[in-house]
Amino acid sequence: MIITGKNFTPHRIAFYAGIIVIWQIISMVGVWPDNIFPSPYEVAEDLAYSAADGSLFYGIATSMWRLSIGLAIAISGGVVLGIFMARVEVINQTVGSLVLGLQSIPSIAWVPLAILWFGLTDVGIIFVTAIGAIFAVTINTYTGVKNIDPHYIEAARNMGAKGTQLITAVLIPAAFPYMISGFKQGWAFAWRGVIGAELLFSFLGLGFLLNAGRSLNDVSQVISIMIVIMVIGLVIDTVVFKKLENKVMSRWGLQ
Amino acid sequence: MTKLEAKNIVKHFSHESHKLTALGGINLKVEAGDFVCLVGPSGCGKSTFLRIIAGLEKPDEGQIIFDGHPVTETSPERIMVFQEGALFPWLKVQDNVEFGLKMAGIPKEERAKISNRYLDMMQLTKFANSYTYQLSTGMKQRVAIARALVMDPDVLLMDEPFASLDAQTRDLLLVEMQLIWEKTKKTILFVTHNVAEATVLGTKIAVFSNRPSIIKKEFENNSPRPRITEDESLLKLQQDILAELRPEVKKSRE
Repeated sequence: MIITGKNFTPHRIAFYAGIIVIWQIISMVGVWPDNIFPSPYEVAEDLAYSAADGSLFYGIATSMWRLSIGLAIAISGGVVLGIFMARVEVINQTVGSLVLGLQSIPSIAWVPLAILWFGLTDVGIIFVTAIGAIFAVTINTYTGVKNIDPHYIEAARNMGAKGTQLITAVLIPAAFPYMISGFKQGWAFAWRGVIGAELLFSFLGLGFLLNAGRSLNDVSQVISIMIVIMVIGLVIDTVVFKKLENKVMSRWGLQ
Repeated sequence: MTKLEAKNIVKHFSHESHKLTALGGINLKVEAGDFVCLVGPSGCGKSTFLRIIAGLEKPDEGQIIFDGHPVTETSPERIMVFQEGALFPWLKVQDNVEFGLKMAGIPKEERAKISNRYLDMMQLTKFANSYTYQLSTGMKQRVAIARALVMDPDVLLMDEPFASLDAQTRDLLLVEMQLIWEKTKKTILFVTHNVAEATVLGTKIAVFSNRPSIIKKEFENNSPRPRITEDESLLKLQQDILAELRPEVKKSRE
């Protein structure tokens, strides 16, 4: 992982400052007209406008809301599916092979189906988000459960753990280090999925703002929204998932 | 009173297309309060036998009679202590020890009361809030033993629990194990490949033959306790056991 606890090292600050300076110079030289290649200042201005009129935050909130529901569905469904695949051989041989196949479909390829089934609705976008993420969660959970030291399961059964107890008290915590990778991947797919779906559905959210920028020929808006998407991605990666991962790893003594 | 009886236990394994008979008809009677040590050449199926008693594996023939009933599934009445402890790395020491009680639905305060007693007994109180990776191998085995005792099992099944310990830690645990046995009056079956260890612990030592294993000979051991590995009173017994064991170990290497 590139982002560490030291987020503000001199090198890093210098690097980003350098990018902005070069960007500014290129736009000032005037190789391309302003409306094709805006300056960083113009992008910042655009960001400030959309923040001031609230459209930016409304867009972020909408996308995050869809992402949360889609990811929640993907995580709960993927964990259940992964556990069943790992523990029931028939399910692994049947559903498992299908999961591998479905996993290779990019989430954006589900959009036409989602539109036909659900129309241009939130449900459609959430469907695309969830289905784009669920198989990554499933496969990582499956791998995690398969890799559990069989002695853990035997010891637990020997001490009286049965059925759902065995799942919640042993299988899930024992597979958790793998499952976190699944959640991380799932979140990354979900984030790409929600933006992509919003772009095509063109129905609110950050993806919609991107598309709106495109249809208005407003390059500044397009770039500013792209930066927002990137920053949110980085923040969630480091704040949520990296923290969770560190916590589990240190608890297991893997760090 | 007979606590446990193995009746003609046979177990096959398939190994690269050919069938391998690990246990060739084990018969063993264990009285309540016995401390039975099982010794034998490595790969003779001692651990498999223990797992069958625990109900974690099914025999291909024969049955285990426990308290007059055939064993059909695993149960906290017969608790296994695994070679590597099989402690849960996601739980703190205290939660590891309380695991079985939690599964049984015992409320939190009650659990803490019971687990504190055994943490104290195994000198683990200071480590109650540690995670298992922070413990030495010897400490881990103590936790594993505490986790087993907390369940108040009728029978304790120990699968080479001291195999990976250094000599000093092992000597210490051999003393503690005798105290635990005297204090709790548990019936214990203890698998080991170390004859000295078996004579220190056991009231009875059963020698397994090479595959397909049977119990070749049983020894009674009434030397006074506490015993240590160097006790001269144990020397003769150790030699007798080794005399039975040596040809089996040799066969197992052929």
